[in-house]
Amino acid sequence: MSKIECVADTYLFVFSPHTLQREAWRALLSSQPGILISGTLAEPSQLATPMHPEQASTILIDLPTPQPEIAHRFRTLAPGCGLLFLVPSYELSIVLPLLQAGATGFISRDASVGDLARAIIAAGRGEIVLPPEIAVQSLVALAQGQPVEQERLASLAPLSERETEVLRLLAQGFTNKDIAQALILSVRTVEAHLRGIFAKLGVSSRTEAALWAVQHGYSAQKFK
Amino acid sequence: MNITPVAVLGTLAEFHKEPIPYDLNALVRMVSRLHPDLLCLDMTPEQWQERDFGGLPPEYREALLPLAHQTDIVIAPIAGEHPPEEPSAPGWRGKAIGTCRSWLATLQRTAPGPDAVNQGLRHLVADLLYSLGAWLSGPKTSQKLRDHTRRLTQSVLELARRDPGARILVVVNVRHCHIIRAALRKHPEIQVVKYSAL
Repeated sequence: MSKIECVADTYLFVFSPHTLQREAWRALLSSQPGILISGTLAEPSQLATPMHPEQASTILIDLPTPQPEIAHRFRTLAPGCGLLFLVPSYELSIVLPLLQAGATGFISRDASVGDLARAIIAAGRGEIVLPPEIAVQSLVALAQGQPVEQERLASLAPLSERETEVLRLLAQGFTNKDIAQALILSVRTVEAHLRGIFAKLGVSSRTEAALWAVQHGYSAQKFK
Repeated sequence: MNITPVAVLGTLAEFHKEPIPYDLNALVRMVSRLHPDLLCLDMTPEQWQERDFGGLPPEYREALLPLAHQTDIVIAPIAGEHPPEEPSAPGWRGKAIGTCRSWLATLQRTAPGPDAVNQGLRHLVADLLYSLGAWLSGPKTSQKLRDHTRRLTQSVLELARRDPGARILVVVNVRHCHIIRAALRKHPEIQVVKYSAL
């Protein structure tokens, strides 16, 4: 597909220690709709471009072995940026340490270009990008040990029917696009519902809302 | 009131076997540039859920569905049922319908771009040929086609009411376009716009 610049394009940086891989990613992804290649990086410290918090940006990280310390370094350098790791498989033993170090998404090396492009866009919005079943397992693992605040629950404003549906899908590991497609609503509308949910739950991020939902059993309720 | 902008883009998409002279990437570029929130396609919810795209026209299968898959464009399947068969009839009426379709195929073959059939004389001729074909096939087929157009319109309307303010692009066969536009214009919460102004 040919390149068209859109207002909502996601800015992409590609990190790989190998020149050929960086150039191959640039060649492959520069023609994908909704993605603008901003640069390639051989070292995290090369990330010199200032990031605008309102601009969706993703760093695609291609390492032979995904390393949590790389996630941590990028998270420090670019706090608002999506960190999308290429992984050999979605095993929790690989995914969880990276999530805890600041990674926001994972894509298998067996994925299609379309799936990769979609993951880059979702990661740029700060979403956790994982296959839904792995996302739920990860959220359950991350939620373990966190206290469930029953007292606060009683004082929360009730969610609307639509917000409940959105939260249920969020807890099942759906991305905003997946939620929008499941409900046949625009992504912007889903984002508006999520902002409403954040305000009612008193959380500040999608991950916090997802953890809250998992802790309160929303992931177990299937969408009808 | 939150006004919902809706654009209807006509295609000659049912001519599967006709070579498409323009690159389908032109359609991808156009829709990508418009970047609608919701993309309404003439397919059933079952076709969408089962990813049964085999019988769909190449404009859908090879251009719009892959584009939506990797972007934020959400697909809305708006056909409640499978579209009716193309008009047919025995005898001279059948031959006349065949002639209409061969002229429509010529319009497809000679189209310089994906939006050509929405403009000027080509649009009028295509519309006229479809109407003539439906009339020649008799009242039952015409009624089925009208019912299908009504279902498409109703789905778009419901969608606009469920998600007011969303930018909706409807891509359907050109025979439905002016009927859908006219029906939607009756609703004050909907603003029918030219596809290029979405």
